[in-house]
Amino acid sequence: MTAVAPPVPARATDRARRARGPWPPVLVVGLVLLAALAAVALLAPLLAAHDPHAISGRALERPSSRHWLGTDVPGRDILAQLLYGARASLVVAVLAGSMAMTGAVFVGVVPALLGGAADTVSSRLVVFLLALPGLPLLVLIGALAGNRRAAVILVIAFLGVAPNARILRSQALSLRARGFVAAAQGFGGGPLYILRRHLVPGLGPLIVVGFVNWAGLAIGLEAGLAFVGLGDPSGVSWGLMLNRALAQSNIYFSAMWTWWVLPAGLAVAVTVLGFTLVGVGLEPSLNPRWLRST
Amino acid sequence: MTLVEPGVAGQDVDQHPVGTPAGIRWSWAKGVAAYLGMVFVLVTVNFVLPRAMPGDPIDGLLARGSAGFSLGEQSRAALEDYYGLDGSLASQYRHYLARLAHGDLGRSIVTNAPVRKEIGRRLPWTIVLMGSAIALSTVIGVVGGVHSGWRRDRPLDRVLLTGLLAVREFPTFLLGSLLLFVFAVKLHWLPSAGAQTPFSGSFNLAQKAVDTSRHLLLPVLVLTVGLTVGNYLIMRAGMVNELGSDYLLLGRAKGLAERRLKYRYAARNALLPVVSVTALQLGFALTGDVLIERVFTYPGLGGLLYDSIGARDYPTIQAAFLVVSVGMVTMNALADLLYRRLDPRTAQ
Repeated sequence: MTAVAPPVPARATDRARRARGPWPPVLVVGLVLLAALAAVALLAPLLAAHDPHAISGRALERPSSRHWLGTDVPGRDILAQLLYGARASLVVAVLAGSMAMTGAVFVGVVPALLGGAADTVSSRLVVFLLALPGLPLLVLIGALAGNRRAAVILVIAFLGVAPNARILRSQALSLRARGFVAAAQGFGGGPLYILRRHLVPGLGPLIVVGFVNWAGLAIGLEAGLAFVGLGDPSGVSWGLMLNRALAQSNIYFSAMWTWWVLPAGLAVAVTVLGFTLVGVGLEPSLNPRWLRST
Repeated sequence: MTLVEPGVAGQDVDQHPVGTPAGIRWSWAKGVAAYLGMVFVLVTVNFVLPRAMPGDPIDGLLARGSAGFSLGEQSRAALEDYYGLDGSLASQYRHYLARLAHGDLGRSIVTNAPVRKEIGRRLPWTIVLMGSAIALSTVIGVVGGVHSGWRRDRPLDRVLLTGLLAVREFPTFLLGSLLLFVFAVKLHWLPSAGAQTPFSGSFNLAQKAVDTSRHLLLPVLVLTVGLTVGNYLIMRAGMVNELGSDYLLLGRAKGLAERRLKYRYAARNALLPVVSVTALQLGFALTGDVLIERVFTYPGLGGLLYDSIGARDYPTIQAAFLVVSVGMVTMNALADLLYRRLDPRTAQ
């Protein structure tokens, strides 16, 4: 395999993509998973037989034709919660992913291009943020901000800023030093022209991969936080389902495990896997960081 | 790549040249001063942080369903007085520093037991749990990365890379929950909760060791999966970077064995970034992992931190964060020292 040079102008990228042939199967599988998930999230009101918030049966019913996955403690339909939970997860993924990448661009790329004091300050900031322990920080900020969904999303996005800023920053610095940027400047290209023709094509792929990766991570993190009790207790989400299910004593030893814990856990797992596969599928073609040869 | 960066040899000698005894002593003094300053800042942050959270420990006590409803302002004031929460922030801070200087971490407001005892009970478990996971994941990540990078794009590399990338973001608490269900609940091979069998006082040393390892196995496994990926990717990238180096070509021309080139030459040069990642992981080790501790009901520091934040138990929060942050700063300092030994260029 010949090495793909990371930042190439848009037209050359197109040519390379066509030459590379069909999409990698990992990417296709990932995209199919995510599309199915988006469909479930959109069509949840049509697919679900019950309101996920409403009590529609007795508590802890076994699966039946009325409640395919049984009911939880006050008697809410578990399948309906599972279907509506896709919405919460996708919202978290998209919001946390895009906010993290926006932050990363402002902390990593902009100062790197401006140079000077802004660059020094921002690179110190990134090093400092990278040294913060993630999980205790999440717990702490969750406690400071109260159990609101917006707070949880903000914190997850915040945690994504530093690692992505570091990657984008080094790429921006190497782009700035490239011959073709200097040449464009020499021919009188203004900052906006350089940005549009050289920096966006060079950084865009990294931003896309970063977004996909962080979106996947956000889903797992949100579910984990809800699982330990840091989340909006009035919402409908997979993490919250796990939290409630595992709050039942001895859930592991009862059959409820199979229709309450397992589906919610699988839903989180499959969604995360969908994002990961898309990321893995995109990465070799867009971000040869791990695959770069000498 | 040449081993010596051009320019390093010709650089101006530093004001306090590293290598002379005076220079070393100076840099040690500076390092120790920076370390102490950092610890003082952390001690202060640990005091301020819990008090910045909404609510206070008395609310926490009352919310726990005691006879709190009947408590009026007077009883509340008495409670605040009892727990030393009544003075101004400045005087509370003075008391906190004075007690800390005597090694007194205070009493938990929730359990009324000395905080030091609770931390002493949990700290060893966190060290055992996180220490084994980090050690295991570093070894696996390095060995896997060396093989993968050395034989890039071969089937083994493809399988390892794709497999590890695919589990990269998999939530560890789900994996833990699943393993717990299969191996502890269904198969009864392993215990389902805790760090030791309760009432195991009559066990002899060997039985205790086996018992502890059996409790440790699943949580360590899950944590290792989560930690390995980063080490592997970095080691692999490092190896790939070394592949075309001149010194490897020279070594081959000299007829050195492939094994020697791989481990003694390329792997050594690619190892440095892994050291920094492992140091970072060790720094975070004492924070434990709340999620994993919840799943396996493991008595570590992560759960203590989580519970004490929920109850606004100021003394416990302060003490737990103190242990965690001092551990982190210490590990970073050690990593710096190790770095200087491994790569003398970074000392300049």
